[in-house]
Amino acid sequence: MLRASATATGTSIDLTAIVDDDAGDGGVPHGGLLTTFAEAALGDDEILLDDTRQRVRDTLGDAALVDAAAVIANYSALDRVADATGIPLEPAKESGTADLRAELGIDVWRRPSPPGRSG
Amino acid sequence: MGLLSYETADIFIREDLAAAHRRAWQRIGQPGTWFRAERRLAIAAETRATRDCAYCAECKAALSPYAVEGSHRAGTDLPDNLVEVVHRIATDPGRLTRAWFDRARESGIGDAAFVETVGVVVTTVAVDMFCHAIGAPPHPLPDPEPGEPSRRRPAGAKPGPAWVPMLAPDDRTADESCLDNVYVSPDPTFVRRALSLVPREASGLFDMVDAQYLPGRLIPDVAGRHRAIDRAQMELIAGRVSAVNGCFY
Repeated sequence: MLRASATATGTSIDLTAIVDDDAGDGGVPHGGLLTTFAEAALGDDEILLDDTRQRVRDTLGDAALVDAAAVIANYSALDRVADATGIPLEPAKESGTADLRAELGIDVWRRPSPPGRSG
Repeated sequence: MGLLSYETADIFIREDLAAAHRRAWQRIGQPGTWFRAERRLAIAAETRATRDCAYCAECKAALSPYAVEGSHRAGTDLPDNLVEVVHRIATDPGRLTRAWFDRARESGIGDAAFVETVGVVVTTVAVDMFCHAIGAPPHPLPDPEPGEPSRRRPAGAKPGPAWVPMLAPDDRTADESCLDNVYVSPDPTFVRRALSLVPREASGLFDMVDAQYLPGRLIPDVAGRHRAIDRAQMELIAGRVSAVNGCFY
């Protein structure tokens, strides 16, 4: 969807910003701050989270903080739904994202366990 | 216990989001399809208890999480097999396996009860994560409402590409009309079908998703701006969250 958004708006986005802090903003306005906020929310460092939350408020405003937090909450749920129910990628999505998954190294991070294989 | 409220938060929460979380919290305290309200609330409480489970932390840190010996530190009186399901989904979802799911089923958890458990866990995770992210305290769980679970299984649900049976749009009947807010296109994605074995749980999840992310009708509008952050910002956050969670759906 990030790629689709970039294509639709004619912007150039470095998709490695999804997984790599070295990519900085990745062409997304305040992208580095937002990914830092997401990581802080998912982590255990309360000081980092407090600091990052305040930076998001100061830089983007209260409504943006709420919407960013809502997206973090949303994907914290949907990721678990996908993983717990074992849904596969839709065939069209699988073929359409092969290059992206290769670029981000996603297929190396996690290979699906075949049925019956011990965890 | 009163309704969920963000009135004491030091930041304004848009009303549609607050209302969606209020409905989600009410659902946790209501009888479900396979569980009474007390069991659903215990699942929610157990989801919260995973934060203090040393065994989960050890598994999370291990290269092979299923090779770690030990037992969960339960925070409720849920049976051990449900505690295992709740803890793994909450703490290490990216490394769940088909073998793990099969063991859960063999331990006596029905497939529909499993799906309802997933629904309650992820609802709790979402609302708690939102509070954590904005710096608000977690909401007290609601009181249980009386009543019996409906135990209604969609007749058209079929085994398919997922571990759990799912309901295809064409196999829906009037009994599953609550899925109208989930199946917003003729060929809904698998994540929209994932909880369809318990339609009420799927509907509840996407009631929350519409407010936390975007209503289904707006998702194809990738160039539009419907929130205080633009779509690229939303998708970058979503991508990073999924990467951290190890979810590559």
